[in-house]
Amino acid sequence: MRRLRLVVMTTLFFTVSGAVAAAEEISVPELITNSKAWSGSEVTVEGELVGDYGFRDDGWMWTQLNGDSYVRSPIRDGGQPLGGNTGVGVRMPTPVGVGLDPPGGYRTRGPIVKVTGIWKHHDPSRQGESYLEATSIEVVEPGQGMNQEPQWIATWIGLGLLGGSVALWRKGSI
Amino acid sequence: MLVKPTKADFKVIGYYLGRISLIVAAAGCLPLLWAALTAEWHPFGSFLLMIGVFTFLGVLGIRLAPRHPKLDWSHGMVVVALTWLVVPLIGAIPFFLSGHFGTPLDAIFDSVSGLTTTGLAVISDLDHLATSLNFWRHLLQFLGGLGIIVAALTVFAGPGGITLYFGEGRGERFLPSVTSTSRFIWTVAALHLIVVVAALTIVGWLVLGFEVHRAGFHAINMFLAGFSTGGFAPQSTSIGYYHSAIFEAVAAISMVAGVMSFGLHHALWRGPRRDAIANLETRTILSTFGFTLVLTLLGLAATAAFTDLMGLTRQGFFQIFSAHTTTGWATISSTELSTWGGLAFGGIAIAMALGGMGSATAGGVKALRVGLTVKAVMNQVKQALLPERAVVGTTYYQAGKRHLTHDTVMAVMTISLLYVALYLLGAGVGVAYGIPLQEALFESVSASATIGLSIGVTDPSMPTLLQIVYMLQMWAGRLEFLALFSLVGFFYAAVRGK
Repeated sequence: MRRLRLVVMTTLFFTVSGAVAAAEEISVPELITNSKAWSGSEVTVEGELVGDYGFRDDGWMWTQLNGDSYVRSPIRDGGQPLGGNTGVGVRMPTPVGVGLDPPGGYRTRGPIVKVTGIWKHHDPSRQGESYLEATSIEVVEPGQGMNQEPQWIATWIGLGLLGGSVALWRKGSI
Repeated sequence: MLVKPTKADFKVIGYYLGRISLIVAAAGCLPLLWAALTAEWHPFGSFLLMIGVFTFLGVLGIRLAPRHPKLDWSHGMVVVALTWLVVPLIGAIPFFLSGHFGTPLDAIFDSVSGLTTTGLAVISDLDHLATSLNFWRHLLQFLGGLGIIVAALTVFAGPGGITLYFGEGRGERFLPSVTSTSRFIWTVAALHLIVVVAALTIVGWLVLGFEVHRAGFHAINMFLAGFSTGGFAPQSTSIGYYHSAIFEAVAAISMVAGVMSFGLHHALWRGPRRDAIANLETRTILSTFGFTLVLTLLGLAATAAFTDLMGLTRQGFFQIFSAHTTTGWATISSTELSTWGGLAFGGIAIAMALGGMGSATAGGVKALRVGLTVKAVMNQVKQALLPERAVVGTTYYQAGKRHLTHDTVMAVMTISLLYVALYLLGAGVGVAYGIPLQEALFESVSASATIGLSIGVTDPSMPTLLQIVYMLQMWAGRLEFLALFSLVGFFYAAVRGK
């Protein structure tokens, strides 16, 4: 039964992929700001997949799509701190998520993708959750590793202070 | 006559601050170890620096002091107030060096917010933050929720320990000594940690389909934030990230455990359990939760925010639960929360302002004070209706039958009014900066009652003065004013005393 559901969902996924051109291209902040207005609409949203890929037993894979300035320039890669992330939940049939590069996090910038799907605002079938149900995904840029240079100055000062503490302790009362 | 503190007074304060610094330095070794094990070398150095500063100050404070310094009441209060200033200041070092904060003030803001278990955040690009730094954010909340002083008293205690204990906003000691009480608090926390982290890891791994190590990462952090009613979350979309009612339900166990006073935990463990339920505090919080929940659900139903009953119930319930326990996790975006008006706004704002139980990890006015205020008001009404010579006495049940005395009413009213004043202070400053009253009030209550729910006012681009005011609110709200006033008094005496 589970396998049949997977096959149906994947088939639907690739069938609907042909209708991508009909979807309106909007940003993640727009989707969040006017969530109710976009409810039930087919939209295309570009952003970075971050966090985790949660492959659930019901045949869906859940992740988060961020559409902020850090998609192109994460702080670890020289981006400026300009505020919080802006993201929405995305679910897609499991087979689609299997081939994607790892999601974004400390070590990597996740794949930048264009997700086309139906925006579900307060979906009654999921007790009021809001998320994008993907019908197609196009990888715009693959994921990539990020800079992890150690902070040598902080390390040496820290060690110096610890050494100083030991010396002070051994000296006794000042 | 105002007595000027002597050099010896400063040394005593330095000594205890030093000992507490060493405890925090030891706690800082946990994220350092995490960074080493996960090979996150960028934050590793910043943790080492932070530990070095804590250790050096700790040893300096101890070595400058006389051999057996005697801690009196005012010293204790000043030590508590300074601890809650110094720890977030130094604890912010790894945050600032991470590059995820535009200014040192932003890093200190998140550190204060973490330690006071508020959960408001101005961090940038949280979703790319190192896992060890994320762990440090949540560990700060755990330390703040249980109390740094309680942590310290578990390891060392001596004369004056009771002052430190009460100075941290804890109103009861349910075991004979402060040390045994502190150890009981840590035992409760440790047992919940084991159970809830295991349960959340299983849910994350088997239900949500995360990789097992990632499920563990989420579980640990969510427990630390939930039990401390802190409200930080590892991802930017808060608990809504998980899209799972089961995950929310398990996480809610930690919130319930956190909002319960440790006295209630003790009563439930050791009995008699019927007494725990009969307590005025328990009955008050259940009543106010029910009231604010109904108010919010009616408000949401009136605005047709949700099209089905299950959606309305799950989302409305969780937001009110999160607000009343002063946790601050959200399953909806701050943009959407800002659109809640009328009854729904009233319900959530009242829930936030009232807060959780005393001697718990929660903030706000606290249930016992609310219950006693209602009793006192009813007493006054009764007095007015009865003949002039009639004597109206009121009793209440809180770990035994007690009489509501004039002194108790005065103390309760004073603290409650101070909270209201604190709520209005932040709202006033917000309004002065052109923020609409409703939003300014919401965010101010969220900061003062250490909630963490935000409707978008808290942001790296917020005015500096407002940011400082919110930090003061979080600090004063967490310490319940006494230590704050003692610190002001101490420094006033240092300047003007003779």
